[in-house]
Amino acid sequence: MAEIARDYTVDELMVVTLARQFRSEDIVLNGTVSFIPVAAIMLARATHAPGLTWVAGAVGVDAYPEPLSGNTLDPTMWRRCVMYLPQEHMWSYVHRGVLETFCIRGAQIDKYGNVNNTVIGEYARPRVRLPGSAGMGDMGSLDKRIFIWTTTHTPRTFVERVDFRSCAGYLDGGDARERLGLKNGPQLVITNLCVMDFEPESKHMRLKSLHPGVTLEEVQAQTGFRLLIPKEIPPTEPPTVEEIRLLREVIDPRGMRKLEFRSTPARA
Amino acid sequence: MAAKTADKVMTLTEAATLVRDGDTVALQGMGTQMSPLAFVRELIRAGKRDLTIVMIVGGIGLDWLIAAGCVRRVIAIIVNLDEFGMAHAFRRAVEAGEVVMEEYSEHQLLSRLLAGAYGLPFLVTRSGLGTDLLALHPETTRIIACPFTGQEVVACRALVPDVAILHAHRADRYGNVQFFPKPIWLDADVFPRAAKRVIVTVEEIVENEEIRRTPIHTGIPYFKVDAVVEVPYGAHPCSLYPFYAFDRALFQEYATASRTVEGTRAFLDRYVYGPTTHAEYLQRVGGAEMLLRIRKWE
Repeated sequence: MAEIARDYTVDELMVVTLARQFRSEDIVLNGTVSFIPVAAIMLARATHAPGLTWVAGAVGVDAYPEPLSGNTLDPTMWRRCVMYLPQEHMWSYVHRGVLETFCIRGAQIDKYGNVNNTVIGEYARPRVRLPGSAGMGDMGSLDKRIFIWTTTHTPRTFVERVDFRSCAGYLDGGDARERLGLKNGPQLVITNLCVMDFEPESKHMRLKSLHPGVTLEEVQAQTGFRLLIPKEIPPTEPPTVEEIRLLREVIDPRGMRKLEFRSTPARA
Repeated sequence: MAAKTADKVMTLTEAATLVRDGDTVALQGMGTQMSPLAFVRELIRAGKRDLTIVMIVGGIGLDWLIAAGCVRRVIAIIVNLDEFGMAHAFRRAVEAGEVVMEEYSEHQLLSRLLAGAYGLPFLVTRSGLGTDLLALHPETTRIIACPFTGQEVVACRALVPDVAILHAHRADRYGNVQFFPKPIWLDADVFPRAAKRVIVTVEEIVENEEIRRTPIHTGIPYFKVDAVVEVPYGAHPCSLYPFYAFDRALFQEYATASRTVEGTRAFLDRYVYGPTTHAEYLQRVGGAEMLLRIRKWE
């Protein structure tokens, strides 16, 4: 049994939790400002998923850019890759399902895993104009296994219904997604407080595990809709000593993953 | 079409006259990478108005154009300053109703541009099914049934920009444009094929014989190109891989300054309206010391 770490922070717990979702046979690409997913991909490859193929910065096929630098789409991410993937090829692989896994975050996430990164308020005259849907407008519709992460677990982020559906999650729940012919969908939601999944029938978001020191009451108070609560709520599985060492010394010694914990001006 | 040996070399000022008020302008740029920003500064100084800017990923150049009042409409999938946060001029203008954002998913926008490049009425995708994006613009994206299988797909209407503007590594005087490596991002690949006119700024103009020795690097042939402008560091503060990295300091300065209208204005005064030449601009943003830093990729 690997030795369990005692000294770790929430960003590290999030990276480790996400890393453990990746499988050795996966082909994964990352998007913009995605320090936590990129660190998780690197960690998965260095531990339980050595066969994982990463299209780094959406371009560098099987690149090895460790350690993590300042921009997750920068050419420095393409180091030691076997190919610069032309983006039209990338989209054909995404459409065909060769690339099957993607990580998403957004300003609003609703109980069925739909994500908004477009506007708060009305589209034409928004209260807040957010950056935009970008790749999530594609990935939600193209059968991806989606992992949602956010560092701001608050009622502003977790809402009953998103103001704008930038990314198709489970739509209105139940079999709505399936009826539209869309496969897979959101698998897990990893936040600064807990981990959540989706109840298989209703597709309603459900608490899965609590991070150390976080209570059920706190999570419910910070969630803008009623979460499904399972009978048993385990603590989020802690990192191992080796995972933390790799993360701090090899993968992200500069602590880029912590950049995601700055307050987002988007929501100010 | 242009002759094989028509000399297309121009100054920034001359090339800017090829962009007219009200044009739909496809502007290259991928976050902190590969954007013709010297040309963008020239467009601002030339006082262009009512432009529709097409970018896959809208960034710092678009935000400057909006702040300077050049833009009426944006066609893009996202507009931000990458890890430096929001594009504030864009956000303010859309929130105030001064600029319209026509938002697509990436493959929808690519499909529109590819349809334009092929001269087809539309191409189809599955991107965006189940999202609210489709309802935004029924005049350009609509769900249709496959005539063979009945499967529902999204028809994406052809988009043909009036002019495409790119920054590349080098070209000859006739407009044979080379990239090192060949175009990876969609804009360098599809914009010149979809647009009616093409303006390219390059780090260096080389002899036609040099192009013929290295045709593997040529991404756009002379017959699609209308203007070539030599502008070393013409993507600054964006990067031009592998020649130079993006200028983190200037990105951060703009991200901070642009939080207010006054700060944005002061930034434009200092770095866009102030310098009368590109050389003067490079001096003002840090000169030789800065150039050495970005060439070393940290």
